[in-house]
Amino acid sequence: MSTNDNAAAADRKIVTFSLGKQTFGIDMTALIEIREWDEPTPLPNVPSFIKGVTNLRGNVIPVVGLAERLGWEPSVIHARSCILVVNIAGKQAGFLVDEVNDIVGIGAAEVQPAPEVETIEASVIAGLVRIATRAKDGTKDENGTMVLLLDLDALSLTRHLDLAA
Amino acid sequence: MSDELDEIQAIFFEECTEGLTTAEEGLSAMQAGDVSAEIIAGVFRAVHSIKGGAGAFGHTDLTAFAHKFENVLDEVRAGKIAPTPGVVKVMLSSFDILSDHVAAARGTGPRPNDAATLVLLEQVLANKGVDGDDAGAPAAAAPAPEPTAAPAGEADEFGFVPVGVSLDDFDAPASEPAPLGNWIVRFGPSRAALANAGEPLLVIREVESLGGWIESVDTSALPGLRDLDCEDSYFVWTLGVPGEVEQSMIADCFDFVPPDSIVEITRAEVAAPAPAPAAEEADEFGFTPVGVSLDDFDVPAPEAAPVAPALKLVEPAVEEAAAKAAPERAAAAEAAQTIRVDLGKLDLLLNLVGELVIRNSILADRLSPADQQRVELPELARLTRQIQDNVMSLRAQPIKQAFSRVPRMLRDLSTETGKKILLETTGETTEVDKGVIEKIGDPLTHMIRNAADHGLESAEERIAAGKSPEGTIKLSAEQRGARIFVRVSDNGRGIDRERVKAKAIEKGIIPADAQLTNEEIDQLICAPGFSTAATISNISGRGVGMDVVRSNVEALGGRLEISSTPGQGTSFTMVLPLTLAILDGMIVRLAGQRFVLPLSNVLETVQPEPGQVKRTSPDSEVIDMRGSYVPVKRATEIFGLNDDRAIEDSLVVIVESESAGRVGLVVDTIDDRREVVIKSLDQNLHPIRGLGGATILGDGSIALILDIEALVASPTRYTPKGLAA
Repeated sequence: MSTNDNAAAADRKIVTFSLGKQTFGIDMTALIEIREWDEPTPLPNVPSFIKGVTNLRGNVIPVVGLAERLGWEPSVIHARSCILVVNIAGKQAGFLVDEVNDIVGIGAAEVQPAPEVETIEASVIAGLVRIATRAKDGTKDENGTMVLLLDLDALSLTRHLDLAA
Repeated sequence: MSDELDEIQAIFFEECTEGLTTAEEGLSAMQAGDVSAEIIAGVFRAVHSIKGGAGAFGHTDLTAFAHKFENVLDEVRAGKIAPTPGVVKVMLSSFDILSDHVAAARGTGPRPNDAATLVLLEQVLANKGVDGDDAGAPAAAAPAPEPTAAPAGEADEFGFVPVGVSLDDFDAPASEPAPLGNWIVRFGPSRAALANAGEPLLVIREVESLGGWIESVDTSALPGLRDLDCEDSYFVWTLGVPGEVEQSMIADCFDFVPPDSIVEITRAEVAAPAPAPAAEEADEFGFTPVGVSLDDFDVPAPEAAPVAPALKLVEPAVEEAAAKAAPERAAAAEAAQTIRVDLGKLDLLLNLVGELVIRNSILADRLSPADQQRVELPELARLTRQIQDNVMSLRAQPIKQAFSRVPRMLRDLSTETGKKILLETTGETTEVDKGVIEKIGDPLTHMIRNAADHGLESAEERIAAGKSPEGTIKLSAEQRGARIFVRVSDNGRGIDRERVKAKAIEKGIIPADAQLTNEEIDQLICAPGFSTAATISNISGRGVGMDVVRSNVEALGGRLEISSTPGQGTSFTMVLPLTLAILDGMIVRLAGQRFVLPLSNVLETVQPEPGQVKRTSPDSEVIDMRGSYVPVKRATEIFGLNDDRAIEDSLVVIVESESAGRVGLVVDTIDDRREVVIKSLDQNLHPIRGLGGATILGDGSIALILDIEALVASPTRYTPKGLAA
């Protein structure tokens, strides 16, 4: 998912969700399903952002505290907490998110590069995009919201683990 | 359309792989001194069918090479070239080139340079004339022709041409007087024979196995294309069998042919038998329906049919006929007793059966105890288990598949290193789950490379050490209980522990003052980033280290054992689970969480009395088991789980481990015993030390499967692997 895709690859759909006060987006195509939060089976000897494993129709998939994984405060489980099940390079994983917001279409030209940040690993933010948000009464919020587009490949669990090892 | 072609081509390559395996086995047997006709014929058939398929798909390089190779094999088969060690060696290197050609055709390798090998093959063929007469003599014992009448030169000329027999050729042998006293068998399968899959080709091969041959085929009954019933049989074969074969043995070949077929067994007259007119009939159809067995090569006629195997000549006949007649016959000959199934389908079936097992236990869980006792439920459970066992057995394959590439590899290694290496293989028929076979390929390759490169010394060093100049690598597989032991051992120099330790300290893998046992030092060679090779050689410096071997084996739920005696050799043993899918387990709780303990490890369970568990140091304990002290491990501590349960309220499960003997594991309680379907953690995550996988319990929740070996093994401090931080 690179930000300099040519214009021909223009429109794509993203799923937006919130972690704390931030809004993030991932490509629709990577999304498998959204499920209610269900306490996963904890795993021993794994980083704390891996909450455990859960049963997705016979598949054992890891559940990741995405906020913690990205370096934010760990999510606190609440009524609207849910799990985004995504496909990252053929592997499935569940992301714990605070709330799923919307599905929006964006054009490649609208994506702005994320500022370089000094982190130990390659940026997991593929770009920034402003989207119009709907207010509760259905009217358009003129200011819109900044969405941080996640680079799922950079988020790959095994990749991160390789770095840690 | 091209998809279909690709599919057919894929099947061809699969067959190539099988053919190569067969050929290599045969050649290895020949190398070991078994040069029986059966073995040679097997190799010939394999190479022949590769050539045939390659021709059909337009792989000209492969076809050309296989053709040349086949010619030599053909001569060997006919006894024209004696399979001397020298000849077998040429054939082995030809085999290697052939494998490379197949890889090239498949697009997985470069086109090999076969010029040198072709020259060798030519030389072998060119020398044949001399050997030919000698070797021909014993074969003459069967149909008793006059070998003197066959000038070696002419035999030479025809020996190169395995196909394309002109009709004229057939008149000659047919008009020759048949050898005195041979059996003449007329065989005309009936319509019922074909309907009952009484494949004539198989019957004829059976006759051939007695030394028989096809004299002719009577196709006069074959109607015009319009009237042709593709399910009917129109051919009558006239077969010859050497006179000394007992009539009952010939009759046995036709046991399964329905009685309404023509089967007549008679002694041949001195005069020419009937086949001649049949050959003329053949002319009409424009193909050559006459098969000639290799024995015919000895027939004195100067224009004797080429030594092409009977199989070869029968097949064109069948193919030709198939175009007009029954196409399924050719297919039936190929399909014989097995069917090919896409592995994906098998895996799906396995997953479904796994789910079925789970649903079965959910059902059992939800029923009242009274209902659980009813007949239907145990019956259902029994059936489910049978289905499961059967599906599992479908995936079981002889480990030979993984071993088959080793001889080739060793020949290459031998060339690269200049070391003479003997290979001894045992237990290759051990059956293992297909998944295991696929995944041990890479570790096995590296273990072999490691043994050849680091384990074995050079010939000079070996002689200096008072050993035979040839190093031996033993490859073995055996099943013990629910585990498969795959061992690669060499009789080389053994692990230089001082050097390994020094290197590990230098690399910062262990602290300089570490006190290690020999076993711990041996395990160090599997530490990531470890390599003691003074020079990184072409062979083992290819980026796959022993750490990868170990992690691959551990990912399979197995472990790698190393044992070494300085000066005498090293052995690496992969201890693997028999199956990747099903486990007989005990459901236990650790700090309230459910885990599965593989039952195959469990010896007994103890409710500790006060004082029965004693501390031997601040962080180690033993349990007094009727006078013997067994170390106790707290899995909760290893996993960092909170558990303040008193030992007296816990249970101690005594397990038998390969690496540490008897060990007691402290668990809260034991819930249940059941078969669980193993789901790997690395499918979506990565292997976790101490866990062999996960399973889904009857209620849909997940329980983690404990890996006893990893739990009881020495602490993980020297193996900075995974996430234990």
